[in-house]
Amino acid sequence: MSVILAVLIAACSGKKGEEKSSSAFTVPVEYYKLKNGLKVALSQDKTAPTVAVAVYYNIGFRIEPKDRTGFAHLFEHMMFQGSENLGKMEFIKLVQQNGGIMNGSTRFDFTNYFEVMPAHKFETALWAEGDRMKGLAINQDNLTNQQGVVKNEVKVNVLNQPYGGFPWLDMPQYANENWYNAHNFYGDLADLDSAKLADVNSFFKTYYAPNNAALAIVGDFEVEDARKWIEQYFGNIPSQTLPPKPDISEPRQEKEKRFTKEDKLATKPAIAIAYKMPERNSAEYYAMGLIDQIMLQGQDSKLNLLLVQKKGYTDNVSGGINYLGNMYNYQGPMIWMVDLIYDASVPADSIIAQFDRSVAGLDTISQADIDLAVVKIRSSLYDNMGQFFGIGRADLLACFALFDDDPSRINSLEGEFKKITPEVIQKTVKEYLRSTNRTILISEPKSIAQ
Amino acid sequence: MKRILLILWMVFSGWASFAQKQMPPEGGTPKDFMLPEKKEVTLKNGLRSSLVQYGALPKVNVSLLIKTGNVHEAANEVWLADLVVDMMKQGTTTMDFETISKKIAGMGGNINISAGMDQVTISGSVLSEFAPDLIKVISDIAINPAFPEKDIDRLKADMKRRLSVQKSVPQSVAREKFFDAIYKDHPYGRIYPTEAMVESYNLAMVKEFYEKNFGAKRSVIYVVGKFDETAVAKSISESFDKWKEGPEIIYPPAVAKQSNDISIIDRPNAPQSTIIIGLPTLDPSKPDYQALLITNSLLGGSFGSRITSNIREDKGYTYSPYSSVQVRKNTAVWFESADVTSEHTGASLQEISKEIKKLATEPPSKKELEGIQRYEAGVFVLQNSTPGGIIDQLNFLDQNGLSDDYLSNKVRNIYAVTPEKVSQLTKDYFDYEKMTLVVVGDKKLLDKQIKAHTDTKKIK
Repeated sequence: MSVILAVLIAACSGKKGEEKSSSAFTVPVEYYKLKNGLKVALSQDKTAPTVAVAVYYNIGFRIEPKDRTGFAHLFEHMMFQGSENLGKMEFIKLVQQNGGIMNGSTRFDFTNYFEVMPAHKFETALWAEGDRMKGLAINQDNLTNQQGVVKNEVKVNVLNQPYGGFPWLDMPQYANENWYNAHNFYGDLADLDSAKLADVNSFFKTYYAPNNAALAIVGDFEVEDARKWIEQYFGNIPSQTLPPKPDISEPRQEKEKRFTKEDKLATKPAIAIAYKMPERNSAEYYAMGLIDQIMLQGQDSKLNLLLVQKKGYTDNVSGGINYLGNMYNYQGPMIWMVDLIYDASVPADSIIAQFDRSVAGLDTISQADIDLAVVKIRSSLYDNMGQFFGIGRADLLACFALFDDDPSRINSLEGEFKKITPEVIQKTVKEYLRSTNRTILISEPKSIAQ
Repeated sequence: MKRILLILWMVFSGWASFAQKQMPPEGGTPKDFMLPEKKEVTLKNGLRSSLVQYGALPKVNVSLLIKTGNVHEAANEVWLADLVVDMMKQGTTTMDFETISKKIAGMGGNINISAGMDQVTISGSVLSEFAPDLIKVISDIAINPAFPEKDIDRLKADMKRRLSVQKSVPQSVAREKFFDAIYKDHPYGRIYPTEAMVESYNLAMVKEFYEKNFGAKRSVIYVVGKFDETAVAKSISESFDKWKEGPEIIYPPAVAKQSNDISIIDRPNAPQSTIIIGLPTLDPSKPDYQALLITNSLLGGSFGSRITSNIREDKGYTYSPYSSVQVRKNTAVWFESADVTSEHTGASLQEISKEIKKLATEPPSKKELEGIQRYEAGVFVLQNSTPGGIIDQLNFLDQNGLSDDYLSNKVRNIYAVTPEKVSQLTKDYFDYEKMTLVVVGDKKLLDKQIKAHTDTKKIK
């Protein structure tokens, strides 16, 4: 769900920070707020002469208007259609013609816009982001055009693909009870068509205010310059009265739910199993992060060894916490999910039975198992921090600023995982990996090519 | 109070629309960008290594690239190379799959083994202090695969399932047809096996492929990131010096064929048509290759490009159009891909052809070209700013027989391209009439649209 098909492949990037012995790394973080409420997180890193600029608005698809499914994402596209000083295509050309790349994306709890620029074009990027935070200048043609583009995005990613929305778009709709968590985030085509220019303007006025946003900067810049330009280009944007937050909570699940969905384009069945997550930042939440590593991440994971290597049900078990991001960049109800494609000759119940065996094995988890999971987490955190030319680090900083008012959390995550004992794991398994806390969705192939 | 604010806001914005637009700040002067330094060593058996210290995150990327892959498969052996690497993944003569997996997990990492068209890759990324240990595991997988017979049926079943899934994806179907047309009887033209082919593979074939194609002379190991250089160099020589030299580097020569074939593959009721249109082009050894890349970026290879501006940002026919140059050994192909609304398939092709013909007859403005040049120069810096990116760049040089000058002169060569050159290259290498076209979509909606398209092609 982003404005541009990603062309550059993100790779793990090396970044300079404080030097410490053996595998320890501290991210420099400077955090402050402008008078209008804009949260700013700066993290200097002079490894390469580039700067990542990321603006995160505290509005995701979860709380978009009820009769306008898909609107938060459609709106993201409108942010590229023109502002006071940059007309249609001018924002994109400004970034590219200065040697930068950019994109935007819409997620559960935020919409982000980012650029990676050559270091000497840092000020240019700040000016451009400030310009569109001030206001949009778009017309009906722009909206009609992007309705066409977004409908084509839904077609290429969902409607014309086998396993199109499976399970990332489908499962929240089956597992959740509260509309905010359970609607079609990409949007029904009819809802996308019915969006009006007035909706765009009111959405902007409601949510795109500096006091509802965070700005994260990572890369080769001077802190003094950053502070000066940020004040200059964002300081005079007025804050807004924000609407009250709707109740997005989910009731405790008491019964296992099972659904089957037909896929006319697929030739093989697929299954997804999803459990409701503990509350973010609780001890059980960190325990689930470790359980995810033990059960699912890496080739040594229990499910890989059992379902792929031993049983041969599939060649790949995928999954994790938050299919549209990671376990850090959301704020609200979430699921931990596992999914795989298998052969019709295998009954789904056999897969579920083996899966349950794996879960039962968590009862005997030792401190050594936890230690190994922590090593895997640390390594994957570094990967997050190095991802996409600084954008991965900016993402963590901006989310921790928006959701926790504390971007320095980036440096204390590992410590939180280390506090988890085998007892906490068992407690977490008992409450959250209950079969009554899960939803199972099976995708049945109905392809004519079968 | 509210009303006053509202009026003020309207006055302000009314005034703003008459006022001169603000110009973006220019920014400062470019900072120096230096390609990171590398240390290269060749072992007695021919294995080469290239080490680059980069970044500050305590991680390291290691990639062993072996110059074999699908390119060495016979016509009835498609994906045999994939089965070979799947079997290598199952373990070595001293460590089974689970042992390797636990070992690597303890290093905070993973190991990936994959067969590409021209190269097999065994790679991993781990916490810095484990670099020498990761190299040992990688060498063991490369040199001492166990090829356990018990795993082959399971892996063949996995392969058949993967094949079935991929062939239900419209973009895969289009790619298969397109490369079949371009490369005909060469392995580059064979993207997918038949199920019967996969069924015919056995342990003897796997072992034979491995024996014939793997060895030190065909291999290069890259280590990029933060690591102890002495320990890594020692680990490389100790782990790899006992590997057999193996075969010389041989790539069966490929000739990309030009054909203005049109293939329509029916996908009943598809809401979109998947289009691939393109033709053979210059490979990286040719002097005009860099200018060709700039031409591609201006025409369809960047978000601000002409084709994307037209069929996406103006017409709204598509979400993800892009053009690119795919490089194989001593050959290359240019193509534009787009998934467009079914009823706009013909119109999309018309617009693509219009943009190509326009660029062939009218050089772009200096300003437009300069924008693309600055974009490509910026992307080049990014491509060299991650450990994975650096490995890709160094491997690209090696695969295409280019010297380091290719990278160090790249920015200068980007800026040396003139508007006239872009137009000339479009005329010489982007002849729309000579392009191979594949469309996967709803045939009943397509026939008329494609016919209109072919008629205009004939008229010229």
